[in-house]
Amino acid sequence: MTSSTPTLPSPKSNSFGGGILKGWKGRGWDRRATFWLIYLPPLFCLFVFLVMPVLLMAAFSFRPDMRGDLFRTWIPTLDQYASLVATGSYWRLLGISTLTALGIAISAVLLAYPLAYFLAFYAGARAGFYLILLLVPFWTSYLLRIMAWKILLGTEGVINSFLIYAGLIQEPLTALLYNRTAVVLTLVYVWLPFAALPILAALQRIDPALFEAAADLGARPAYQFARITLPLSLPGVFAAFFMVFIPTIGEYVTPLLVGGSRGFLYGNIIQDFFTKAANWPLGSALSMIMLAATLILVVLATRLIDLRQLFE
Amino acid sequence: MKSRRGPVLLGTYYFGLIVLLYLPIALLFLFSVNSSAFLSFPIKQLTLDWYQKLFDADAVLRSARNSLVVALGSSLAATTLGTMVSILMLRYKFRGQNLLIALSVLPLIVPYVVLGVALLILFSVLHIDRSLWTVGIAHTVVALPYTLLIIASRFAGMDAGIEEAAMDLGADYPTTLRRVVLPLIFPAMVSAWLTAFTVSFDEFALALFLAGTQPTFPVYLFSQLRFANRLPIMIALAVLLMIGTLTLVLVAERFRRREV
Amino acid sequence: MKPKRSMLLAARGILLAFVLMLSACGAPAPATELPPGELTGDLTVLDWAGYDAEDFWIDFKNTYPKVTVNFEIGSSDADIYGKMKAGDQADIFHIYTGWLQFYVDEGLVEEIDTSKLTNWDKVPENFKKIGQIDGKQYFVPWDWGFTSILYRTDKVPEGVDSWASLTDPKFADHISMWDDGPGAVTISSYIHGYDETAITDEQLASIKDEWIAQRDLNLFYWAGEPELVEGMRSGDVWVAYAWQGAYALLLGEGVPVAYANPKEGRNSWVGVYGIRKGTENYDLALKFLDAKLGEATGANVVNLFYYGHSNQDVMNGITDETLKQAFSIDDPDILNKTNFTPNLTAEQRDAWTAMWAEVKAAP
Repeated sequence: MTSSTPTLPSPKSNSFGGGILKGWKGRGWDRRATFWLIYLPPLFCLFVFLVMPVLLMAAFSFRPDMRGDLFRTWIPTLDQYASLVATGSYWRLLGISTLTALGIAISAVLLAYPLAYFLAFYAGARAGFYLILLLVPFWTSYLLRIMAWKILLGTEGVINSFLIYAGLIQEPLTALLYNRTAVVLTLVYVWLPFAALPILAALQRIDPALFEAAADLGARPAYQFARITLPLSLPGVFAAFFMVFIPTIGEYVTPLLVGGSRGFLYGNIIQDFFTKAANWPLGSALSMIMLAATLILVVLATRLIDLRQLFE
Repeated sequence: MKSRRGPVLLGTYYFGLIVLLYLPIALLFLFSVNSSAFLSFPIKQLTLDWYQKLFDADAVLRSARNSLVVALGSSLAATTLGTMVSILMLRYKFRGQNLLIALSVLPLIVPYVVLGVALLILFSVLHIDRSLWTVGIAHTVVALPYTLLIIASRFAGMDAGIEEAAMDLGADYPTTLRRVVLPLIFPAMVSAWLTAFTVSFDEFALALFLAGTQPTFPVYLFSQLRFANRLPIMIALAVLLMIGTLTLVLVAERFRRREV
Repeated sequence: MKPKRSMLLAARGILLAFVLMLSACGAPAPATELPPGELTGDLTVLDWAGYDAEDFWIDFKNTYPKVTVNFEIGSSDADIYGKMKAGDQADIFHIYTGWLQFYVDEGLVEEIDTSKLTNWDKVPENFKKIGQIDGKQYFVPWDWGFTSILYRTDKVPEGVDSWASLTDPKFADHISMWDDGPGAVTISSYIHGYDETAITDEQLASIKDEWIAQRDLNLFYWAGEPELVEGMRSGDVWVAYAWQGAYALLLGEGVPVAYANPKEGRNSWVGVYGIRKGTENYDLALKFLDAKLGEATGANVVNLFYYGHSNQDVMNGITDETLKQAFSIDDPDILNKTNFTPNLTAEQRDAWTAMWAEVKAAP
């Protein structure tokens, strides 16, 4: 892995703080001991509970069917992948899901930025409270909240009733529900508070002294924003973008609830093969394809935006 | 930063979003006191019947307790692991560092359905029974990228000079971490913990695959949806949980303001 | 006199020895000899949500109060099958017609010793047969119901008399179909007169095209009855594939709906319980299944979930008008006009579910 990564910038070369402590400075033994203490637990957890399951899943994708003892070894076959290559509609759906996720991520980040800005600079001591207030609805069941949303958006729902009452429309809007647009709107709505979190974290660590210095030098607020705030918050913005984009590619719950007959995404197909068809090999093959596609996207992105630079 | 318009506009934006977020919840509250079993207007008759039935519904309450336990455990674990990986990422340099980071972020791109079945297979092979523990493990894994991103974002802005100064003054590294670093990144840790808790509390795709005889609340709710006449009780519970959490949050804010 | 006394002594001695022997053997009495009220044990049931409520095993609970019953929740037939294949240790599981063959083929289920079921003679013959594979009784039928077309009488005053109404452009954007591939194949086979057990590849391809076309008329696919009920109640859905539970619920709330009797015949499904092969609690499991066939349990199934029960006495005892309408109790011929779901082979399951996935993914 180390040989294939881009060259990391020198840790001492940044001007914004951070950076690795020079070597195993001082009493090196305690640095080394601490290293192993904090390296082994995450490594163990990730290897046993993430890598191994995914590898098992990959192995399953080479299984011909669900017959026999599930855990006895089998002769690998490319049958599942062959049948997937032949089905063009799945590839098309993967593309649509990726583009939809892209749109949702960009929208969520754009709409979350003012939110994070408000919390970072105008909420003062109440920022924590306001933040929690944003998150509390997520401790109600998502399913129930969306059911309630459907009441709001339906043809006899509150929004339509209000619009008709106000005379803005004659017939109820049917386009609010049971289509892909509804899926996008709902997902942006759901991701907004979460997208604000990394942006907020990044904004909070900007040294206020920078603003004072800029103001002393005569910079106007808009200029300060463009040259100080925005660039320094970019790592948080990118973090927020990825945090929303990647999981949304595999999203399936929202399309099930509000997508109607035409709003299905790739994740629905995967979920169906596991929970409706009991066809684990085919579902695994579909998942591997999605994983590969996402990995490619992520690698491409890291070539464009060096990950370490995010944090330096 | 001194103009008036900015804060007012942004404040309106924030509160507008709050209204949008709580609107469905207000609706749910309305339905929970509606005597009809249907989720719709008009409100037939106001009643507290559903809340009463809720307290007889042991299974529903138990599922809520299970969710709480799993969320608490997994969020603490995820925050701890996230902090560990953040330190490893930003204060050390070693072979396999990028692998660790990549693995920590990998759960984001594995669909929950896939991870659920994969972990089911793993636990079956290892002869580990499905239980709240297996759900908790899954939730820790999926929450890790979030805690890592949040804590590392904060951590990166910290000048390593503070730690070097502490070590120059004679502290060993563990003490430096404990007395200098952790207090400084504590707000981010709380933020991360909250996120991990939120991720776990309402998660059901993984819980559905990995729960044994003790379902979590979303699993129980999802499976009860098969039968329309059980719905109002579930809504009553969701509303109660919401009111409980809001109360806690408001009380905490009161206390904080008093200290200030 | 002397010989008599010695004989008496001997007899007493033998009697004493006999009694001692008996008491020695009697110490660890086999479980089945305990009175029901004292019987202890542990059972795990893999069941659908809702059925873990005590109402649905109340006879067992009352007869064997000291036995602990644990429930694992399965969310669908495919989920339960997957879990059983992955080695779930539940003693009993609950599945529906269409999925029975797999468990026998994969060696996951024990044969049922019907001689030990006291309620067995209350189950009608055709239900008993549904639980049989290759002539052997592997499953105990428990709950059952109809599938037909549910429609709003105010939106569709002319009524509905054929399964083809689900693909009728007349009802565009007001149709709701169940999200299930095998279900779709079944309907197409009714409409076109195909043999459900022998669908050819060409037939499957044309079925796929039919449902891709239907997708443009379909408002949403429902996965759970509440979705369907809500859609129908609000008037968004006029015509839907539905089980009679939804019908009874809407009728009870005063929504103008009717449950069709299509000319091709209604469909019927049956839920069955099976005992996992290799379970150590076989006898206890049998007692549980026997109690499941009990009258109190059956009455709860009918009254609380509006599903049918396999105990004929329970069905005969229904008095509620809404339920009588839902089950067409007043039509003695109804079961003969009904098509019961046959069991799929593994190939059919894979092919039909893949077909449905392609319908959903189609542009």
